[in-house]
This record gives sequence, C-alpha cells and structure tokens, in this order.
Amino acid sequence: MTAVAQDQAPYFDISDPTFAITSEEVHAAREQSWYARTNYGIAGLRYDEVSRLLKHPKLRQGSVQWPAHNGITEGPWAHWFASWLLNKEGADHHRLRRLMNPAFSPKLIGALVPRFQALAGELIDGFSHPDRCEFVTEFAEPYAARVIAIMLGLPEEEWPIIARESTTLGLGMGVTVKDDLPKIEAALANLYTYADDLIADRQKNPREDFVSKLVTANREGDGRLSDEELRDGLVLLIFGGFDTTRNQLGLAMQTFIANPDQWTLLAEQPELGKAAVEEVMRVNPTVRWVTREALEDFEFEGLEIPAGTTVHLFSESAATDPRVFGEKAFDITADRKPHFGFGGGAHHCLGHFVARSDMSEALPLLARRMRNPRIDGEASWLPDSGNTGPMRLPIAFDAAG
Amino acid sequence: MHVTVDMNLCQDHGQCAIASPAVFQMNDDGKLEYNGNPDDSLRDEVEEAADVCPVQAILVED
Repeated sequence: MTAVAQDQAPYFDISDPTFAITSEEVHAAREQSWYARTNYGIAGLRYDEVSRLLKHPKLRQGSVQWPAHNGITEGPWAHWFASWLLNKEGADHHRLRRLMNPAFSPKLIGALVPRFQALAGELIDGFSHPDRCEFVTEFAEPYAARVIAIMLGLPEEEWPIIARESTTLGLGMGVTVKDDLPKIEAALANLYTYADDLIADRQKNPREDFVSKLVTANREGDGRLSDEELRDGLVLLIFGGFDTTRNQLGLAMQTFIANPDQWTLLAEQPELGKAAVEEVMRVNPTVRWVTREALEDFEFEGLEIPAGTTVHLFSESAATDPRVFGEKAFDITADRKPHFGFGGGAHHCLGHFVARSDMSEALPLLARRMRNPRIDGEASWLPDSGNTGPMRLPIAFDAAG
Repeated sequence: MHVTVDMNLCQDHGQCAIASPAVFQMNDDGKLEYNGNPDDSLRDEVEEAADVCPVQAILVED
C-alpha cells in the first residue's frame, strides 16, 4: 500500500474552534488518505489504521502535551493535568491503575442497576414542565453527577458541586482552554478543597466505600499512594466520571432526535439499551479524538513518523469508515465492530463498565417517557473537537407514562 | 487453574498484562500472548485480569 506523499495529504488546523471534526470535509479527506496533516502532527481517519495505531507499541498516550500545545506550561491546572493516570506510563501508571480499577469493577455494576433506573425515573418525574426540558441541566448533569457520587460513595445531594466544578474543568479539554484558564483553575481549587475534606473525613471515619479504601492504601505508608496522588486522583475520578457521561448523554439525544424511528424502537425494546449506547458512541462520541505520541521514529503504512509526533485518532471518522461500516446509517440493531469512544490500550477508559451500564439504563427509560422528542429553542455546543457535547439542549416531547 | 482468552473478542488492549504480567504479555507487535495453565498461586491476579478486561474475553476455570 502506498501512502499519499506527506505534503499532499489533507491538512486541518484542529486548534481552530470552528474546525468541525465530524464535517463532510473530514469525511472527504478520509477518502483521499488514511491520515491528514494537522498543526500538531498527523490525524488518523480510517478504521483499520486507527485501530492499529490506538494500541501501537511505538506510541504512547499523547495528551500529556495538551497544556504545552496550548501555551500552558505551569500553574495548578498544568500540574494537575500532568498527574493524570492518563498521562502516566509504565510502572507508575500500572501501580495507580491497579489501585483505581476496583472502584469500577464490572462485578459492582449489577447491584447498582436498580439505583440507575430509579435515578433516571426521579429526574424525568422532576422535569419543570411535563412536555419539555433543558436536557443538560435537568437530566444529563444531575444523572452523571449522582452516578459518580454513587460510585465513589459521596453524598448524592452534593451533586451540584460535582456538576458545577467539573463542567468548568471540562473547558480544559477544549481548544479554548487558554482563554478559560482562570475559571478552570478556580474550579480546580474548589474540587481540591472538596477532595481534601473528603479524605480528612474518611481518615477519621472510614467506611465500606472506595474513598476509604484509597485512604487506607494511603495510610499504609508503603509508598503506594501519596497524599498528592490521592487528592489528584480523586479530582480526576470526579471530573472524568462526570464530564464525559454528561456530554455523551446529550450527544445521544442529538442523534436520536435525528433518528426518530430508532428512538421509538428503543422505547419498545428496552433490551436494546446496551446496543444503543455502542451505536451512539460509534457515530457521535464525546471523545472526538484520542491522542498518541511517537516514542521513537517508525514507519507506518509507508509514512515515516518521527519520534515526538502527535498522532490524533479521529474516533467518529474512523468508526463511520465506509470501508468497514458501509453506507452511513444509525441502526441500534446492527452488529458492529468495536468503536473508539473509550480509547484503547493501556489507557482504555477506566469507567467504561459504569458508563455503559448507566447510559444503557437511562436511554430506554427516556425513550419510553419522552416520545417524539424535538429541539425546542436554541441549543449551544462545545467546539466539535477534543471532548464535545451540548452545553444547553432544550427539548420538547410528548409525555408518556 | 486454566485460562482461556476468546481471541475473537480480544482487542489487544493489554489491561490483563497490567493486572497479571506473569501470565499475560503484549509482544513486540502489540499482540497478546498468555500462559493458559498458570500456577494456582497467581489466582488473585489472574482473576483481576479477567475482571478488568474491557471486552470480558478472559475465562478462568479450575
């Protein structure tokens, strides 16, 4: 296979807030070349290449360069970002990952399903109007925040703190991060205070919850988890659990509003909830790109990739590649190959079992209660790159019991 | 103890190799290699590997 010469490959300025990663322009580029050049490096566009690059031994996770790419090299946010499990490699990463894994074990999820269902029902019952809602603030935010509270053993009534501060931290994943930095750092300071109080409380009054277990690991004094790692890690879990789920639920509504027959089908067949989550994340993932960085010079599909190159993997472009998925279609009954919405490899999303479970319970319930949903007013959106989703999504619907 | 990985499901994410490096390794091509009959003393970490597999492809039997 011959690659397009590097200077002929399509080029995108992906730091431009108006760049749309799911645009026809990107899909057209995918037909010209398996990759595009970008202002950061290269971007993978097709399924086969993206799938292999996602787990390629010559690539490491690449988000570690994100603050520097945006001209931010110091300060609390850059420091916190560098502490992320996502941005560590090797033994350091593996030690932290194994400490975090038990909080998100698939064994814990089954028992929580009734709580997810009850929560979704409670939120729909509480809509301010019987036939319309602002989906982000009335459903996606409280649902995502209370699920993470349940998982971590935090008081559910404190969800507004989780939602408010994490939403602001989420701006750090977007291309306007530098302008938003003062707000982001204020939110980070608030979540640090929240985490410190939580840690202090569990040190005094240990319970049978995940935070107590982490605190205990911390107190063993065997160097397994430092105070700073504990605090940074908790803020990451709170943020990571909230922001992505909130965004993905909003994106799911967007996709289903555009595919009303599939919404009706989901209402009639709630057992399709799991498949619905996978299909939504294939065509409309909140994580619009997964980032990698070349550890050394290597050749891939005829392209020389020098050490240090940033490789963005465009999740929607790859998972809608007609070479693998045929004609463009959104079909929750189709048997599909895996999507890239949870990343992959050593840094595969830690919380994916929970995210899959809570969304697969919420969506069929929403479909049953909110018939014929349509956009009702002005929606507003994060940039269509990085991590995206609606900031505001007003919906009208026909209420059903 | 007997370990089987469903290679039709396996996506080579390598989470098992983080949980139980004595039994599961990723080779230079990034593909999974594993010992199907590990020592019983490794049971806890092998079960951890099965638990964390993103596609739940690992079966552990006595």
